[in-house]
Amino acid sequence: MVLAADVPFPPSVEDFFLPSIVPWGAHDSYWFTKITALVWLTSAILIVFFLTAYRKPQLVPTKSQWLAESIYGFVRNNISIEMIGPRGVRFAPYLTTLFCFILLNNFYGIVPFIQISPNSHIAFPAMLAIISYIVFISAGIRHHGFVKYFKMSLVPPAPWFILPLLIPIEFFSTFMVRPFSLAIRLFANMFAGHMLLLVFTLGGFAMLSANLWLLPVSIVSWLMTIALTFLEFLVIVLQAYVFTVLTASYVQGALAEGH
Amino acid sequence: MTGQQPPDKPTGGDGPDPPDMGMGMTAVTYLLAGMLVWGGIGWLVDHWVGTRGIFAGIGAVVGIGSGVYLIVRRLGA
Repeated sequence: MVLAADVPFPPSVEDFFLPSIVPWGAHDSYWFTKITALVWLTSAILIVFFLTAYRKPQLVPTKSQWLAESIYGFVRNNISIEMIGPRGVRFAPYLTTLFCFILLNNFYGIVPFIQISPNSHIAFPAMLAIISYIVFISAGIRHHGFVKYFKMSLVPPAPWFILPLLIPIEFFSTFMVRPFSLAIRLFANMFAGHMLLLVFTLGGFAMLSANLWLLPVSIVSWLMTIALTFLEFLVIVLQAYVFTVLTASYVQGALAEGH
Repeated sequence: MTGQQPPDKPTGGDGPDPPDMGMGMTAVTYLLAGMLVWGGIGWLVDHWVGTRGIFAGIGAVVGIGSGVYLIVRRLGA
């Protein structure tokens, strides 16, 4: 049991900036840290898994082929086709990759010894949101034509004299709030989850090192950490699902026929 | 889940449009966006004219009203 005199409590944003690995121990250098290594690990796992699972597909699937097909089937049937319609099959590969990437990255938040999710740095959700943004806009432009798509999405059915009031709102809500909210939703959930786990874990140690009689309270704190880890697992899966479902919903909105 | 059949018309073609699941989120977004956009424009006018906050307030109210109108028009009362 750690009885260090000073436990780093309360945890702060600085705890999310991990020490640099290459170059070792450099200050203010964040190019290659544990976070970077985790993202590379995710990419490697996904690429290797899906490639080897489908290398020699059998009619009666092997275990990894069954797993890969289940994941793809789940995303294709329940997200792509449910949200976009039969045309959604074209988007299923992107949505599956998105879902798996976010899920695996989020999952590192509760794996022992890793316990930080790259998605708790705004950069990764931001890039994913930008990619989804480009996907739904280009889907709309490709389907409707450039001018017609923007006319359809920016001009609501309203009498002409109210339009100047409504068009800024439409523009803001369709082209600015969407990517922003996608990124922030994922980032905030992962950041807050990690922060909660830090508070309860470090709080237990801090209370213990302040006064040994607080041991029962420390134990309660650590039990809360365990309970919160289960909640965090729920949040991990849910956030990956929500990101993917919302992307599919935006694509559906872009492909929908006019009103 | 591999037991699930792929849909009947896998490529191209337009089935019946799936129900719009984003409706609730869209409604909230319109309200918020209306308030923010026109409140922001009102705040800019305030800044330019020098008053303390009246235009931001008017802008926010106008924004909420327009948001409600948009919801009624786009999502069908």
